[in-house]
Amino acid sequence: MLITEKPHSLVSNFEAVRELLGLTGPESLRAVREAALAKFAEAGIPTTRDEEFKYLPLNRFRETEYVPAYGATLSEDDLKALPLSVLDGPCLTIVNGEFAPELSNVSGLPNGVRVMALSEALEQHEGLVMRHLGKIATHEGKLGTTNDERFTHLNTAYMAEGVYVFVAKGVMVEPTIHLRFITQADHGAIAVHPRVVIELEEGAAAKIVESYHGLGGESFTNVVHEIALGANANLEYVKSQTEGGSTIHIANQYVDQKSGSVFTSNQVAFGAAISRTDLNVFVDGEHTETSLNGAYLGQGEQIIDNHTRIDHAKPNCHSFEVYKGILDDRSVGVFNGKIFVYEDAQKTDAKQTNQALLLSANATINTKPQLEIFADDVKCTHGATVGQIREDALFYLRSRGIPEMDARGLLVYAFAAEVLEKISIDVVREALEAELYRRLNRD
Amino acid sequence: MLQIQNLHASVEDKTILNGVNLTINPGEVHAIMGPNGSGKSTLASILAGRDGYDITEGSATYLGEDLLEMDPEVRAAKGLFLAFQYPVEIPGVSNTYFLRAAVNAVRKQRGESDMDAMEFMKFIREKIKILDLDPSLLNRSVNEGFSGGEKKRNEIFQMAALEPKMCILDETDSGLDIDALKVVSDGVNALRSPERGFLVITHYQRLLNYIVPDFVHVLVDGRIVRSGDKTLAYELEEKGYGWIEESLAGAK
Ligand SMILES: Nc1ncnc2c1ncn2[C@@H]1O[C@H](COP(=O)(O)OP(=O)(O)OP(=O)(O)O)[C@@H](O)[C@H]1O
Ligand SMILES: [Mg+2]
Repeated sequence: MLITEKPHSLVSNFEAVRELLGLTGPESLRAVREAALAKFAEAGIPTTRDEEFKYLPLNRFRETEYVPAYGATLSEDDLKALPLSVLDGPCLTIVNGEFAPELSNVSGLPNGVRVMALSEALEQHEGLVMRHLGKIATHEGKLGTTNDERFTHLNTAYMAEGVYVFVAKGVMVEPTIHLRFITQADHGAIAVHPRVVIELEEGAAAKIVESYHGLGGESFTNVVHEIALGANANLEYVKSQTEGGSTIHIANQYVDQKSGSVFTSNQVAFGAAISRTDLNVFVDGEHTETSLNGAYLGQGEQIIDNHTRIDHAKPNCHSFEVYKGILDDRSVGVFNGKIFVYEDAQKTDAKQTNQALLLSANATINTKPQLEIFADDVKCTHGATVGQIREDALFYLRSRGIPEMDARGLLVYAFAAEVLEKISIDVVREALEAELYRRLNRD
Repeated sequence: MLQIQNLHASVEDKTILNGVNLTINPGEVHAIMGPNGSGKSTLASILAGRDGYDITEGSATYLGEDLLEMDPEVRAAKGLFLAFQYPVEIPGVSNTYFLRAAVNAVRKQRGESDMDAMEFMKFIREKIKILDLDPSLLNRSVNEGFSGGEKKRNEIFQMAALEPKMCILDETDSGLDIDALKVVSDGVNALRSPERGFLVITHYQRLLNYIVPDFVHVLVDGRIVRSGDKTLAYELEEKGYGWIEESLAGAK
């Protein structure tokens, strides 16, 4: 292995943008960025010897020289191919890490709802944003083995732009809010570090759909989410990742749920060369509901790695988790599901399932459920299966005249579509079903 | 239209069918009765083309061709239909999508053009009324979470949509309440025609009051041991299978 003294471009690029970054947000963020950069520099790019990255070979990462990204000029036409451009409600677009006002329209939202670029929010509502910025995205003080947070630190180091969504107490947002993150690397390999802060105050409700899409070139998306759900708030969240074939997509998402809140996450990963999402939910109130649904498809040499972590810190909460993946060719799937049940969290009801369908002898899945339970009166189950096509279902379809090849295709599709069915927003569900179908048929 | 001759079948060296002989002509309704485990569903599955059986002897001919050589989808396209004893749940595939794929696959094999979504919905709405099925079941996944009765009605609904020539019904009456039994029987009777053959597997004479058979056969240990007209069903209802088994023993 080649050992270089030179720091990785992800670290050295900071020099060039330090002053620019410093202009956004309160002065105090300068020190926060410096400290985070130092932590990332110390940790470095992970290797497969790092426990949390055991199955994620990031060699390609190590060899790439990233340059700081700047926005690209795109028109609505360029975004037609996005599976979710069918959504025609409020929409905010980030291109190469920069806010693109010409591709955004957030008019028509009810009073008490703010959807805006993070930099703008830091100017206009610094107090509100700073309630959560940097406070949710951390495992400090939580139970168990600390997760590896180096990419969160890297995001924090470059933190300036992103999205801010705020829904005031009791406001129910009817239209689906669409957040688009586009990369187009036409000036070398680029790295973008958007930060997303979402707050639903007590009793608020919203549906937020995010699409990540690549329009070509080599890019690295390193996004961090901080989502605060107040008491009895209700968020349905969809993340659709259809990035380009030479993208590395890393997402670290942190959710904080107060009592009575409901969080439904639907994660769809179809794109990118390497896709890694860490979804961390901290349950900090009683009688909450958490549903984590995931559907992914691996083709070619894609690597799709989903890590989820639920901290049940309070009693009487339910979490339900199902991840299903289709893996073809030489693709690799990884699922790691951590559930921590704190001593206090009696009557926790947690169910975790993950299933993979391997379509090729060269495709692999690595699965690791990790349940750590410190309370005694709880119901926690987990199941992992590597599925085959069900013979009884295949015969049933064929007995109705559907040719074997089509019947197999239908069952493969259905395997993941079963998870997409959980998306309550009809146009989104249908668009993602169509996208899955299209990709399976390799059109 | 269907000739079964001396059919022997086994699974993993266990013999299940032991020389079945049966001929069904267009327009005829045949009923098969017989104790649990006698091989009724096995016979139906073999006719529909399920894998995993060794045919050790005998033959089955459908419309003059060797049935056992055909893939299940080819049998379906040629008009053979099995209403399953245990319909299969397929999460993730909507009932409508499934039906349309099936109807179009069968139409294609018959050299007919695809029905578009509009045409198809119109066609389906008419059929669903006949079976008194809740239209919301169309949007759900195939059989997923359907009640036992809904599953059975869904089978006959599919049969009505596919308009097969040879209909095999495996215990379609089991699990139906009295009203549903009537609805399902009406659905079947609506399809009766001089061109269509029926093979109705049941445990209960009651169904045969609604779907009146031309012939009744009794299957015991993988063989048809007695055939008669509809009065045989009454006799079985009254005396049970013990009576036949005894008379068989007596004859030996
Ligand atoms: N795949 C199989 N492997 C092993 N044994 C089988 C298999 N399929 C059927 N059998 C056996 O063959 C026998 C006949 O089964 P079959 O389902 O055909 O009976 P049946 O007449 O339909 O019964 P019922 O009235 O209970 O529906 C049973 O003993 C059954 O256990
Ligand atoms: Mg049976």
